Amino acid sequence: MHYTEDELILYYYGEHRRRDRVDQHLAGCASCREVYRSLAAALALVADPEGPERGEQYGLEVWQRIRHQLPEQEAPWWAVWTRPSRLAFAGAAAVLVIAAFIAGRTWPGATDPVQPTVAVAPHAGIGADAGERVRLAAVGDHLEQSERVLLEFANAYGTADQPADVSAQQQWATDLISANRLYRDASTAAGDEPVAAVLDELERNLLELVHGPATLTPHDLEQVRLRLDAAALLFRVRVLSEELRERELDIPIARKTI
Amino acid sequence: MDASDAAAVLSRAQQGDGEAFRVLVERHSRRAFQLAFRMTRNEQDAEDVVQESFLRAYRQLGRFEARANFATWLHRIVANCAVDVMRTRHARQQRVSDPLDESAPLPVDAPDPQRLAESTEVRERVDEALAALSPLERAAFALRHHEGRSIEEIGRTLGLGTSASKHAVFRAVKKLRLALNRYA
Repeated sequence: MHYTEDELILYYYGEHRRRDRVDQHLAGCASCREVYRSLAAALALVADPEGPERGEQYGLEVWQRIRHQLPEQEAPWWAVWTRPSRLAFAGAAAVLVIAAFIAGRTWPGATDPVQPTVAVAPHAGIGADAGERVRLAAVGDHLEQSERVLLEFANAYGTADQPADVSAQQQWATDLISANRLYRDASTAAGDEPVAAVLDELERNLLELVHGPATLTPHDLEQVRLRLDAAALLFRVRVLSEELRERELDIPIARKTI
Repeated sequence: MDASDAAAVLSRAQQGDGEAFRVLVERHSRRAFQLAFRMTRNEQDAEDVVQESFLRAYRQLGRFEARANFATWLHRIVANCAVDVMRTRHARQQRVSDPLDESAPLPVDAPDPQRLAESTEVRERVDEALAALSPLERAAFALRHHEGRSIEEIGRTLGLGTSASKHAVFRAVKKLRLALNRYA
């Protein structure tokens, strides 16, 4: 039995759980010893880069550079839901749900199946801005989650003998697809075509990953990475996520309280 | 400054007090630059990372939980910011990529004066090999190799699962070993 290169890498960095056993094995196995020697020698060449020195005043210099660019601070997550605009939105949503419930109880029985639709109804308490902020926040969160699942796929690792098991990531991606459709449709309805386009592309890629094999060989994994790289999808998702955060902050809050 | 002072400064900064945030910037800038340079290996990129990281930190300060450690939180922001900068640079470089020169002569058994040249050559080769890594592999490698972070810490820093961060390190080391094999 020999240790794999992965195990020897963990051993090199002191993260192998059975360090004593590896010690013993290396003492008696010329083959593993040679692999480890070569590994350690290569890593020893990667010295800590000698960065340029930064003096005591460096912090002050950084401050001088950024002090006039400080953005508005984001509110804590719990405060977001106590803002008047969000409360108005939550209240309006509750009103819509109750109205739908009452309508369902009193409307004459319909026999034709009806496709669910999303209606945007004017309401005294809702500004268009509030709805837009909610959409941007929701899509931003969705993009962050999507980025994570794509990274999980991109960084999955498998060998010919032990293909990577990505079934958990596929399940996660499946959950994201349905939300993705909603957000894409909402973005299209809001006339936000750039966002809708990225979500459209994201959905296509998520679908391919979900409908692909649950175990991936190194060749499959390379294909996945190439596909993601070709579409620059991870980069676009991350950039868009940042952009939406900025846009969300740029929308003025409808009403103020003292 | 003791812990209670530090907490007070942080609390004031969270309420939008610019002066309090200045104290945080002054205290953490050098460490942020060191990390940014280790990851990007480029002075200008590292400066950009430091600047952008503090702007991000300020924006998100309201979401920072007081019981957490500010230095650890900032470390995470700097690392992710460096990944973003490396991604941008990586994408740019791939458009004008110049494959590694595999036909270069092997510097074996060189005498001492040549050793010096060789070390320069090796450094260049190391830089090329690192530049050929994906931004995530490079970030994970820098955190493991230079920063001494555990696989779990790398996962938390980069927002990856333990398995994904472990394999990012594995892939980075294997690529480096392959590229530097003839010098090792």
